[in-house]
Amino acid sequence: MRQENMRRLISVASLVILALVFGFTSNGFFTATNILSILRECGITGIIAIGVSFVIITAGIDLSTGAAVGFVSMLCANLLYNYALPAGLIMLISILAGTVCGVLNGFIVTKLRVPEFIATLSTQYLFRSMVFVFAIREMGVITNKKITDPGILIMGGSINGIYLVTITFLVLAVIGQIILKKTKLGTYIYATGANRKSADLSGINTDKVRWTVFIITGFLCGIASIFEIGRIGSATTDLGTGLEFEVIAAVVIGGCAFSGGRGDIFGTTVGAIFMAVLQNGILKYNLPTAAQLIIKGVVIVIMIIFDSVYNQYMQKKIHEKANEEANEGVQTAGGEA
Amino acid sequence: MSALLEMKEIEKSFNGSPVLKKVNFSVEPGEVHALMGENGAGKSTLIKILTGIYPKDGGQIYWNGEPVTVDNRKDAQALGIGVIYQELSLIPTLTVMQNVMLGKEQSKFGFVNARKMKKKVTELIEKYGFNVKADEVVETLTIAQRQTVEILKALSEESRLIIMDEPTASLSAKESDALFGIIEQLRKDGVSVIYISHRLEEVYRLSDRLTVLRDGVREAVLTKEQIIPGDVVRLMIGKELSEATASNSLRKSDAPVRLKVNGLTKKGVFHDISFEIHEGEIVGFAGLVGAGRTEVMRCIYGADSYDSGTVEFEGETLAKQITKNIRTGFGFVPEDRRNQGFTPLLSIEKNVALTNYDTLAKSGFVKAAAEKKLGVEMVDKLAIKPGDSQIPVGNLSGGNQQKAVLAKWLSRDLKLLIVDEPTAGIDIGAKDEIYKILESLAENGTSVIMVSSDLQELLRVSQRIIVMRKGGIFTEFSSGRITQEDVLMAESGILTKEGKADE
Repeated sequence: MRQENMRRLISVASLVILALVFGFTSNGFFTATNILSILRECGITGIIAIGVSFVIITAGIDLSTGAAVGFVSMLCANLLYNYALPAGLIMLISILAGTVCGVLNGFIVTKLRVPEFIATLSTQYLFRSMVFVFAIREMGVITNKKITDPGILIMGGSINGIYLVTITFLVLAVIGQIILKKTKLGTYIYATGANRKSADLSGINTDKVRWTVFIITGFLCGIASIFEIGRIGSATTDLGTGLEFEVIAAVVIGGCAFSGGRGDIFGTTVGAIFMAVLQNGILKYNLPTAAQLIIKGVVIVIMIIFDSVYNQYMQKKIHEKANEEANEGVQTAGGEA
Repeated sequence: MSALLEMKEIEKSFNGSPVLKKVNFSVEPGEVHALMGENGAGKSTLIKILTGIYPKDGGQIYWNGEPVTVDNRKDAQALGIGVIYQELSLIPTLTVMQNVMLGKEQSKFGFVNARKMKKKVTELIEKYGFNVKADEVVETLTIAQRQTVEILKALSEESRLIIMDEPTASLSAKESDALFGIIEQLRKDGVSVIYISHRLEEVYRLSDRLTVLRDGVREAVLTKEQIIPGDVVRLMIGKELSEATASNSLRKSDAPVRLKVNGLTKKGVFHDISFEIHEGEIVGFAGLVGAGRTEVMRCIYGADSYDSGTVEFEGETLAKQITKNIRTGFGFVPEDRRNQGFTPLLSIEKNVALTNYDTLAKSGFVKAAAEKKLGVEMVDKLAIKPGDSQIPVGNLSGGNQQKAVLAKWLSRDLKLLIVDEPTAGIDIGAKDEIYKILESLAENGTSVIMVSSDLQELLRVSQRIIVMRKGGIFTEFSSGRITQEDVLMAESGILTKEGKADE
């Protein structure tokens, strides 16, 4: 079996096991309502995770996504409250603002040559500060105002019980997978992450590739923000805090390697669902918050350790197999000498 | 007779010292032309000028009789010159097809036409009978198969000339044979090959013509009938030099055995390595690139693991752990100085201290005064310039950097020092100093293993020379006077002088 398929099988298997554990130990896990609710919960993480998968496959990282969602959501809430702009325009602005965040990240990384980690850590601060710039104030005090525009609120809704965010996520995931596997850009994303020097030598503009994946991530943050405010019906200053880690965890659990060149959107989708199942299942136990966080943390750490161990094991096996094949001739080499 | 490639009176200097002196070189269509010469003879400079990596100082390149300029790799590619690099440049997680077509995908609106590309690549594979499939992932392939992917890449670019630089360095005998088959096919197809190798028997077997370079001068061009291995070696080294640099009399030591290696094997890398090193002895390890010398030394030191065999140190089985071995009295000066030898941003003093914290620190706290004292002491002892132990090692010259690396070990009570290519890239004055350091170490009872590709150096410093070849020990020179020719022939698998073959 090809390593890619093997890794996929493992992602799916761990998701199934996790679901079974919750199914048998808690009440009301395997009900239609709960499953639809899980699929709703994974939507926002999943949409952003598609972009972050691209970034991680190019051997990069984006730590600014949570703050970008916070900023874009607040900007939209502000415009709705102060100017009552129509919903369509708000959505356009949301996507544009998200994209601008991605353009900025890509610019800092590829043009100013700042390493991804530090670049997006700084823009995380910048975007979070923008949240406070656009926060709605009454007499100088930040106030949380309800969004009343039905066009926005409908984005938090569902059709026949299936939430719009779920549908959007799955459609975008399919598109993402097609981009990775069927287009030139996809091949270049893998090539950039697996061996950038060699990709450069093959005439690929790897800076352009790296900038593009940041822009895609920003664009997706914009889309995610629409669903975020549609669902909550308001924007708080801490909206999106920690979301970037949820996203990165989903991507890594799904099989994208930090070293680049490995993983796909199928895996990321599984990873996003895994994160939502974990969150949903833990809540069913009625545990104190600390215990919930501990379980969640421990499971994520185990998954990530497993991923690392598995990758090392596979590398070793591949190496051994290659050596073995090469060595069928070694005896003759010795004899000749 | 119209040559495919002609390079006329090519000149090149680095920092005022000439590397190529009016070199002429030509390749016919469908010809396998070997390019030979010692390290530093100018082979790779000539190739780098041909592929546009270096600009030339003088001379002219002709392609199919037309004068051309090659300013970068793209120019070379456009002419039809492909290069198979020593360190392979493929994308490990992509398939053979994706690698071959990388950067020149057949696509419409950004969507790649996988079927069309696969057909094209499969046709090429079948035409040449290569042992790979278009949709295999490159990281699952052997080194030899990856090389064929590189060749495929060159062929898909319609290359008329393929340059192979030491292509068999990491191949087994069977794989090498397969490669020779491919080269044969290329020749039949009218594709020319420039073949750079140190392995005489390969060159002898493959090439239609052979050009020998020595010190930047074209020494000879031989046709197939004129190639006699002994003559080629003599041309590469030069007669006078060979006599002048012959070894002092080699000798066996009767001091007690310090290191005893028995049947050491690491599958696919080296096999059945056995030798002994005595106290106060300097033993040279000769061999071509890929012979497995560095790999053996890394295993003995504890940096890598091996599959079978034993290593005994003063009668006791050696730990496979670097930390323990250092405590036992091991020192290791690696080949890749900048990445493995020292920490460039740290001062000489701190670099020296790194291997000495067992005595320089107490309950985790560094004794600053002792650390400083040791740094100053070592700078004085080895005459590291400039004489300031606070200077970051990265700012020193190559020779002084290497002295700083030696200082890390010489500051300890050393029983066995392994040095790998100790003077690579170091100027002559500093080389001499390093030889003196090694010699004085040996006089004081430390055993020294010196892996080197510099024949003059091996002959000058070693008391015995062990020659490795294709992962095994080929022979050992342990008596009498020998010359560079003798070592070079042994490295290539030709034995003229006494010396017992191991198998």
